[in-house]
Amino acid sequence: MASDTNWITLLASNDRRGGVAAPARKPPAELIWKATLGDAVRSSPVLRDGVLYVACRDGRLYAFDVSNGRERWRYQAQAALHSTPSLSGNLVLVGADDGTVSAVDRASGLRRWQVEGAGEVWSSPTVYEDDVYFGSTGGEVTAVDRASGQRRWRRQMDARISSTAYVTERRLFFGCGDGRLVALDRSTGKDVWVHRAADGIVASPAVDGGLVLVGSEDYFFYAVDMESGKVRWKIETGLGVTSSAAVSGGKVFFGGRDGYLYALAQSDGRELWKSRPLRAITAPPLAADGFVCVQSFYGTTQAFETDTGKELWRANLGGSVSSTPIVSTEAVYLATYPGVVYALR
Amino acid sequence: MDRRTFVYNAALGTLHLGLGGSLARAQEPSPSALGSLKIGVHAPEFTPSPLAMPGLFPGRVIDVSHPQPIRDRRIDQAAVRTMLTQGMAALTGDKKPADAWARFVSAADIVAIKVNPSSAPATVTSIALLREVIAALNGAGVPNRNLIVYDRNSNQLEVNGYHTQVPAGVRVVGLDQRWSVKGSSDVNRSGYDPEVYCEMDCFGERETRSYLASIVTREATKIINLPCLKEHNASGVTGCLKNLAYGSFNNVARTHVDPKTYTDPVIPVMCSVGPLRSKSVLHIMDGIRAVYHGGPFGWNPEFVWEAKTLLIGTDPVAIDRVELEIVEQKRREVGAPSLFDRNPANLGRSSDIERTAQKNPFYREPNHIRTASELGLGTWELAKIDRRKIVVS
Repeated sequence: MASDTNWITLLASNDRRGGVAAPARKPPAELIWKATLGDAVRSSPVLRDGVLYVACRDGRLYAFDVSNGRERWRYQAQAALHSTPSLSGNLVLVGADDGTVSAVDRASGLRRWQVEGAGEVWSSPTVYEDDVYFGSTGGEVTAVDRASGQRRWRRQMDARISSTAYVTERRLFFGCGDGRLVALDRSTGKDVWVHRAADGIVASPAVDGGLVLVGSEDYFFYAVDMESGKVRWKIETGLGVTSSAAVSGGKVFFGGRDGYLYALAQSDGRELWKSRPLRAITAPPLAADGFVCVQSFYGTTQAFETDTGKELWRANLGGSVSSTPIVSTEAVYLATYPGVVYALR
Repeated sequence: MDRRTFVYNAALGTLHLGLGGSLARAQEPSPSALGSLKIGVHAPEFTPSPLAMPGLFPGRVIDVSHPQPIRDRRIDQAAVRTMLTQGMAALTGDKKPADAWARFVSAADIVAIKVNPSSAPATVTSIALLREVIAALNGAGVPNRNLIVYDRNSNQLEVNGYHTQVPAGVRVVGLDQRWSVKGSSDVNRSGYDPEVYCEMDCFGERETRSYLASIVTREATKIINLPCLKEHNASGVTGCLKNLAYGSFNNVARTHVDPKTYTDPVIPVMCSVGPLRSKSVLHIMDGIRAVYHGGPFGWNPEFVWEAKTLLIGTDPVAIDRVELEIVEQKRREVGAPSLFDRNPANLGRSSDIERTAQKNPFYREPNHIRTASELGLGTWELAKIDRRKIVVS
């Protein structure tokens, strides 16, 4: 079975609009294959050319043939992996708990280069043109050359960075554990603007329509002008927000630790609907035409109509802290915290 | 290596040390249906330091409350700072926070901070308290690179945001996390020490050992314990003792199969194991939000109330005893049965505890607190507890 879907990084692509998948309006009814890994999977799987890549906390990056679940190769890192991998050209880029980011050959599973940083790298490396950007819990943001791993610049932000950067031609946007939402100059790493929330920003921002869209542990979800850093609108939720937002069709979707999946109007932040509460949603949702899907911490995967919030289906497949399913035209791929990877249709 | 064996006879309510020593308590025989439990302890020998439980201030509990520690549903960082600062001053008599903390830690210490994340997203050790404790440790000279926040369950740590919200440089570790290097058989990469364990067969389980965290045995030189003020469906309350024992040893859920529970004596015996006992020097119970039923998860918000307090001390038994009084008082106010209730009619299924405070799946008398006292971990008798209530604002 060949896949015509590519899903190369967190929320499918670097524009983080949440996916290009065909809507799965019916619940998956058939197990194609599953794989039980050596430890929990915290990050999202990524997919290209019929190969599914999964970073596991056992320190291994796995490559599976999506047609049959056979392992093509595994790459052994020197520390646990919490970072969602990114695919770029012939490379798989992944961060590790020893502060390194490695570039692994997509075909062979052999390491091409590795760069060392401070703390743990839980964010996903973001690729823009010839550069790779990532933050670490040691407070560093680093830019390296995609081909060689040679460092271009780094900044010490003096706060944990778990947020995956959103990168545009001129800017780099990310959140910090002390509540800062930061825009840096992409070429130099110098500040462009800083917005301060009242508590940490762990989620990864999406940028669309001139807005930087991100939630905070201060219970608010923010839309910040990408040029000025000024708040255009914000809405309050019931608890902290660590779920990264998906943007699709003029709507913004994210989960809250209060258990709701929220759907907001991108233009002004109006609440369009919110789901019936689960106990905690910290993972990002994915959104495609007419369809939004999210995994909750306590094990339920749910799909909703984007316009109405009507629940389309739910399945109990193991909880997720930060992982997002991949919905392709052929299958749904899920990685769960207990360390099981499912291919379903 | 020290090997000790505890034999618990639940029918008589007695706990014996080995074959000769006795820690028998004078009390009425318990009606418990449990038989005897033999617990083998395999641990390094240690000589308790003055800081070992019950620590520098046996029997003293600082009950520090604030009229408004929660503003607009959020725990107020500044209020927590005031509570902690003044509470520590009341405990130690030192006006300067750095002096108060210096009684317990020094710049060279590796300090493990035991949080309670077992209730996402409800009642857990608050990030606000954790941040203030970290700041206070920094003030006493301990750098962030020497700090380790830990618990048994990494998924619960993650979902509550501990990994992402503490200052840069602080390590946050779930003990269940493991990873291996190809070709390596280095078991020390797992979160538990294969040389330190309690061994007992509670209900015929396959794995009869519970291993102690290697962070406790090998890395940390001090432990700061940050439990929550919560009822617990199997042990009556989850406080200082249970947070330390069941969050530092693995394979502990096996000690309770409804309606029976061996949390007494397993919790106190685990707390008496050398490294845990000797390194746990300070306990700060987060009672800003508290749970009187449905714990440890406390998912029904009806069973959560704003107790607005921190309980601070070095004696975990005394703090847990005060916690027990607070939870029992709250349960009386709402007409819920006592935690010592043994009426079979009040037994329910696990799902019932989210619905009604009248039902519980276990007989959950919190006798582990008294047993801990008998093991020398602190003060059980209320008359001997020096509870100092202070109100700050």
